[in-house]
Amino acid sequence: MEEKVKVYALSTCPYCKRTKKFLDEHKIPYDCKDVDMLDDDEQDKVLEEIERISGKRAFPVVVIGSEVIVGHDEDRLRRALKL
Amino acid sequence: MTDGRERVYCPVCQAKFRFIDGWREGDTVVCPICGQRLTLRSEGEAWTGDRVDAMTEKEIRDRAENFAKLRGYSFTDIKEEIIEGLVGKQRRFGDFYCPCRMLHTPEYQCPCKPTRGGDVERNGRCHCGFFWK
Repeated sequence: MEEKVKVYALSTCPYCKRTKKFLDEHKIPYDCKDVDMLDDDEQDKVLEEIERISGKRAFPVVVIGSEVIVGHDEDRLRRALKL
Repeated sequence: MTDGRERVYCPVCQAKFRFIDGWREGDTVVCPICGQRLTLRSEGEAWTGDRVDAMTEKEIRDRAENFAKLRGYSFTDIKEEIIEGLVGKQRRFGDFYCPCRMLHTPEYQCPCKPTRGGDVERNGRCHCGFFWK
């Protein structure tokens, strides 16, 4: 089974909301972490993880298998999800 | 007469701007760097500005409008969503920080330091896509 899609987002970021909406509309199950809503220790850990996988601290970050998509990019989401 | 107090400190952009002759204590002025409305207050030999409508949605709306006007920038259709994000940042983190960043220090108060420093000229937009050239 393929790994579940992961989303790293900020609760205040409109582009993150659009990405989540896009996945919802296409009925793609995903695990989402709103990084700004985590407690401090968890937040530091997740921010480091984001930097490690994407090379920066920008949002949203979507992980689909081996693909990492930074920013709200519907074309890339479609391609990666084969929609 | 500048009275030796020819600069005004803006608590938003943490920089000083020129005091214009004729300004008086209690006057409301606009910071020419970030667009914040400020009430002038004399502090010994210096002037400082107190934020008008501090920590309210009106404050960030006025600041953003003034900043866009000062720089000749425009907003896009995402403006209201960004305002909502800025208000969320203020509620959760204490001030109007960039809604698309995870940085809560004074230099990332909207308009953030990179934006005040010319990011919109360089990239056509600010990091959050609030201000556009």
